[in-house]
Amino acid sequence: MDRALFEKFRNFVTRKRVRFTLLSLALLLSGFALYLDITVRAQFEGKRWAMPARVYARPLELYPGMKLRPEQLTMELAMLDYHVAADPQDPGSYRRRGDEFTMVTRPFTFWDEAQATLPLQADFDGGHLSTLTNRATGKPVTLARLDPVPIGGIYPAHNEDRVLVKFDEIPPHLVKGLVAIEDRQFYAHHGFSARGTARALVSILSGGGVQGGSTLTQQLVKNFFLTPERTLRRKFTEVMMSMLLELHYSKDEILEAYANEIYLGQDGNRAIHGLGLASHFYFDRPLSRLDLPQAALLVGLVKGPSYYDPRRHPARALARRNLVLQEMRKIDFVTQAQYVVARASPLGVAEKAPEGTSPYPAFIELVHRQLRRDYREEDLRSEGLQIFTTLDPLVQTSAERALTSRLTQLEKDRRIPPKALEGAVVVSHSQNGEVQALVGGRDTRFEGFNRALDAARPVGSLMKPVIYLTALEQPDSYTLATLLDDSPLVWRERGTSDWEPQNYDKEFHGQIPLRIALANSNNVSTARLGLALGVRRIMDNARRLGVERDLNAYASSLLGADSLSPLEVTQMYQTFASGGFLVPLRAIREVLMADGQPLQRYPLSVEQVIEPGPAYLVTHGLQAVVREGTADALKKYLSPDLHLAGKTGTTNDLRDSWFAGYTGDRLAVVWIGRDDNQPVNMTGAGGAMTVWGEMMARLDPDPLVPPTPENIEWSWIDSATGLRADGNCQGAVELPFIRGSAPMETAPCAAHSPARSLKNWFERLFE
Amino acid sequence: MSKQYSTVLFLATAAMIAGCAGFLPSTPEVSDNSAVVALMDSARADIANGKLDAAVAPLERALRIEPRNPVLWQELAKLRLQQGQYQQAEGMATRSNSWAGTNKALRAENWRLIGEARLKRGDRQGAQAAFDMAAEQAN
Repeated sequence: MDRALFEKFRNFVTRKRVRFTLLSLALLLSGFALYLDITVRAQFEGKRWAMPARVYARPLELYPGMKLRPEQLTMELAMLDYHVAADPQDPGSYRRRGDEFTMVTRPFTFWDEAQATLPLQADFDGGHLSTLTNRATGKPVTLARLDPVPIGGIYPAHNEDRVLVKFDEIPPHLVKGLVAIEDRQFYAHHGFSARGTARALVSILSGGGVQGGSTLTQQLVKNFFLTPERTLRRKFTEVMMSMLLELHYSKDEILEAYANEIYLGQDGNRAIHGLGLASHFYFDRPLSRLDLPQAALLVGLVKGPSYYDPRRHPARALARRNLVLQEMRKIDFVTQAQYVVARASPLGVAEKAPEGTSPYPAFIELVHRQLRRDYREEDLRSEGLQIFTTLDPLVQTSAERALTSRLTQLEKDRRIPPKALEGAVVVSHSQNGEVQALVGGRDTRFEGFNRALDAARPVGSLMKPVIYLTALEQPDSYTLATLLDDSPLVWRERGTSDWEPQNYDKEFHGQIPLRIALANSNNVSTARLGLALGVRRIMDNARRLGVERDLNAYASSLLGADSLSPLEVTQMYQTFASGGFLVPLRAIREVLMADGQPLQRYPLSVEQVIEPGPAYLVTHGLQAVVREGTADALKKYLSPDLHLAGKTGTTNDLRDSWFAGYTGDRLAVVWIGRDDNQPVNMTGAGGAMTVWGEMMARLDPDPLVPPTPENIEWSWIDSATGLRADGNCQGAVELPFIRGSAPMETAPCAAHSPARSLKNWFERLFE
Repeated sequence: MSKQYSTVLFLATAAMIAGCAGFLPSTPEVSDNSAVVALMDSARADIANGKLDAAVAPLERALRIEPRNPVLWQELAKLRLQQGQYQQAEGMATRSNSWAGTNKALRAENWRLIGEARLKRGDRQGAQAAFDMAAEQAN
């Protein structure tokens, strides 16, 4: 082979090798790019669609004539983070001058309609909203809704809890702040900044490692996958991935992912990722409600959450926040006026990191349980559903305050160690069964043991109305005037020890009228009555009233040996409060899809399970409990003119203190006890009833005026004999009876008393 | 579309709306609370447009404001009957009866609704009993 030929051959081979190498390289590169593309998209999509269900309180409906105090409106507006303004113009601002409110509502899409922002003037007259006017048109407004208070979300169960937010939930000034501080070219670049990358390269080549020069997109990519290593290869992957992301997604989508990913602090061993969670962690409020200085502080934290920790280093944090504000001012993202106000405002950080992200975890748990009947757990945690609930934050606040303040006071008064007592409260609308408040313990933000749902305790005398109902459903045998036997009782049953019920006063009362036995909560006469009627039958009636749990049918079950949770007791009493109609308790009104499309309603449902007559008589009996029986001390809190109905409950050795009662508009059940089940040494009236009274007094209850069923008639009765009397018979009372069931026989006093003759004489005079 | 034609269409539509309004009187007896009246009107408009599911929400809103208003309960009973929810229709009509007081016309209508609901569920005897109650109210 001659040399030239060899050269030619070698060139050919070399060229081919170069070509081959180049080709393989390109193939490898595109393979790598493809791999990166698949990875980055999978990661991005996975994060993007995991939107937790968002939960809202009921919206406050405003209409002229409604029962609402000015301070309640102020409280609602505060919970909604409406800010005070001298001349309210922006949605979410208001001004109060005495009884006059000027406000601009936020626009909101409800289940049934979208309501645009409304400039309103609301004037109060005492405890009522007297006039409501549209300030723009000067015309009266018949009905308007405030936006509902966001009360939490249903988040992924695993450790890394996040409060994921959608792009349009991020306040605009926060977006602007991020762009101003972290990446000014964000809306112009293709995922990386050439200058920044060049600077990083120089730094790496000169042995300094990669530093800075990251766009928001690059920061996101780093957070997604990469370990904090500083090499050329790593920089290359990062730039590639950033470019790929930009290829597939819009700037807003990228920013949304960034907002949900960014690391912003540490709470013990829990990392605070995402603006949504950080907003709760630092300010105890949802992200959409942050004002300009708060938003600027969050932006400032991106650089170093630990170094600028506003709780540990407030001075550093303040300086950093003001730097962010200054940068935003420089590029005209904020006006000079906004800048001056924001700069002068305090950090506004909540003193202590709040426990969890909902102010009402106990209620959220009830919502979650009701939702789980209809939805898959992963959908609740990822589909971004909007859940509209029945929670009334004003009622909830009253319930929480009454419980915590009374428990503290009771411990002081009764020398119980501080924090030993626990309690639970459930409040519902007496007619439609909507749960307006639920308190699961005295630490109302605690996300653990929920006593309102899960503390099943013996109900004691709360079971008695079921016995009386069973009796009064037989008007031929029992009326409110029937005399019951309250003499000593020993009950022997095979397989159980002898049962000898005692009255609370340790005495026996001979013959007592049925309504008095209920009012005074006599154990012995009630037990005799129950045994005569049949224990099984009474327990079946409890189930008819709405108790779903299986109940025992021992004699002791009559006096409430069986355990129920406060929520179950509420369901049972709901049927009394609504006049014999079973109304299922509901915590949810509507569920909407993430995009606002209606998904499901939880409608009002009623079913008559008790005849109106007996239901009416039981309520009359429960009104006697408050008027003259074991709950008469309720008058310390509420006027007797409200004719409230209620029942105290006390269990063996004073371990549980219960009260269940209803007004014209609400039903509430309160339980007090100890988690270790030790005696609390208080009766239902001494403990739970005082919580009930204090709470209801804050809520201006409607008087209880149950409608009189058609078949009810009234008769005067002589209490001592249970026989018919007239109005002048001493101790005579007028009582309701199911038609035809009133005693026919006349008491001796009625026919012959001088009073009777005198009355007859007067009657003749006026005839 | 010619101008003339659209005028005719407009007039026809206006007449139709006026006609509907005649069938759906904004009854003065619903409530003296104008918020309740507005919600009732909205529910009736939904029903007139065949949007039965949508009508439930304003009725329930009205009932939150006036839970003792028998006309609202009756309206909900009628709606549930139309929707084929017969058990709920009977429940709502019975609830309306409990708040109806001495309003015999309202009671009669409730019993008629209960009768219809029972009939639809195949309970002829129960239905007859309800229709008898309705007739009794009329006397």
